[in-house]
Amino acid sequence: MQDRPTAPELLDALAELLFADVREWVPRERRFQVLVAANVCAVVARELRAGREPTLADIELFERLAAGYRRPDDEDDPDAIARDAAAELARAIRAGELDDELPAVMGHLRTHVRRKLEVARPGYAD
Amino acid sequence: MSDAPAPDDVRSALADALGTDPGELALTPIPGGASRQTFLVKGGDGRWVLRRDPPGASSFAPLETEFSLMRAAADAGVPVPRALAYEPDGGRFGSAGFLMEHVDGTSVAPRLLRREEFAAARQAIPVQLARALAAIHSVDPALLEGVTARPGHPALAACAFWEAALDEVGEPLPAVEAGLRWLRLNPPALAPEPCLVHGDFRLGNFIADADGLAAVIDWELCHLGDPAEDVGWLMIRSWRFGNDELPVAGMGEREAFLLAYEEAGGERPDPEQLRWWEAMGNVKWAVICARQAADHLSGRRRSAELASLGRRICEPEWDLLALLAGEGAR
Repeated sequence: MQDRPTAPELLDALAELLFADVREWVPRERRFQVLVAANVCAVVARELRAGREPTLADIELFERLAAGYRRPDDEDDPDAIARDAAAELARAIRAGELDDELPAVMGHLRTHVRRKLEVARPGYAD
Repeated sequence: MSDAPAPDDVRSALADALGTDPGELALTPIPGGASRQTFLVKGGDGRWVLRRDPPGASSFAPLETEFSLMRAAADAGVPVPRALAYEPDGGRFGSAGFLMEHVDGTSVAPRLLRREEFAAARQAIPVQLARALAAIHSVDPALLEGVTARPGHPALAACAFWEAALDEVGEPLPAVEAGLRWLRLNPPALAPEPCLVHGDFRLGNFIADADGLAAVIDWELCHLGDPAEDVGWLMIRSWRFGNDELPVAGMGEREAFLLAYEEAGGERPDPEQLRWWEAMGNVKWAVICARQAADHLSGRRRSAELASLGRRICEPEWDLLALLAGEGAR
C-alpha cells in the first residue's frame, strides 16, 4: 500500500497544474503541447480508476467473436491476453472468416470502442 | 525537435534558386508538422519555408514528388506556396527536402475556428476550398511524373494500401479491420478517370488569412485516384475540431460545399460513394494515429504528442462504425 494521494489523485493534481498554471507560463504557440500533457494525465487517471473491468470485458468479447481462439497457456496478464485475442480477431476478420456475420461483429465491436472512448475521450460517443 | 539544417547550406541552395544571394539566414522550427519537419527561414528581406523528412523517419511519398506536384498544382490555379528548390537526402538540407515561398496566415485549426479576426474568412473558406479542390482534380495526370496510381479499382486499392500500412504498424485493431472488411466487400462504383488526389485535404493543411484560403499545403499523401476520396477525408469528424455539426472544416455545410465544387467543374460524388470515402477517411486517420504512436514507441521520434495519438485511435474507429451502421454522417 502506498500513502495517499493515490495514483489517479496524483495525476489529477498534475493535470490541474498543467492546465491551470503551466499553460499560462508557456508561450502561446506552445500551449497546445501543455494541453496534450494535461490530457494524457486525465486519460491515465481515468484508466487507473476504471481498473481491469474494461480489459476483461474486451477479452470476453474477442474470444466470443474469434471462434476457436485459444489464449496462450502460460499467459495470465489480462493486457497481454487482450492484445493476443484482438490480433487473432483482426486476422480472422481480414481473412473473411466472419463475412457472414460482419454487420453483427461491427455492432459488437462498437461496445469495445465505447470502452476505449470512456477512458480516452468521454462523451465522444454520445 | 531535432537539429535544423545548416543555415549556410540553405543560403547557398536559395541563392541558386533565386539567382541572387538572400544574405544571412536564420532557421526556426515550426511546431506542429507531425510527419515532416518544417522550418521558417528568415533572411534580411524575405521569408521562406523549408520542409524536409525527419532524419531517419519513414514517409509515404518522396518529397521530390511533392515538390514537382506543387508546381503543377500552381499552374492549374490551385493556391499553393511557390516551390523553389529541392535537395535529395544527403544534400544541402541534410535529409530530402525543399524550399518554398512563405505564405502569411495560419493553418492552426483552433485559431481559424475560434478567433474573431477570422470570422469573415470562415464564411469564405468552404466555397474557396471547393474551388481549390476542383482545381486539384482538374490537373492533367500526364503532367505528374512520380505521382502514381495505386493499382486497380481506386477503392480496393485504398483498402489494400491501408491494410498494408496497418500491418506495418503491427497494432491489432479489430474495429478498423471490421470497417476495412466491410469497405472491401462494398466498394462504390468505379470512378470515371483517375485524377490527382491531394490525399490530405483538410483543416490544418491549408493556410488562411483574414480574407480566407491562401494556400493548400502538405502534399505528402498525393496520388492518382477517385476525387471523392478528398471530399470524404475533408469531412471526417476529426477535421471539424469540435464543430461537429459543420462537416466542411468545421465551418461549412456539406451541401453548399458540394454545389460549389460542382460549379467549379468537380464531379459530385453520390451519397453512397461519399459515405464510403468518409468511412475510409476514418480508417486512414485511425491507421495514421497508430503509426505516429508507433514512431514514438520505436524511438524513431520520441514525442508525447505522437504518443498521445495512440489513444485517439478510438475516435475515428467510433465514427467509422457509426457511419457504416447507417447512422448518417454527422
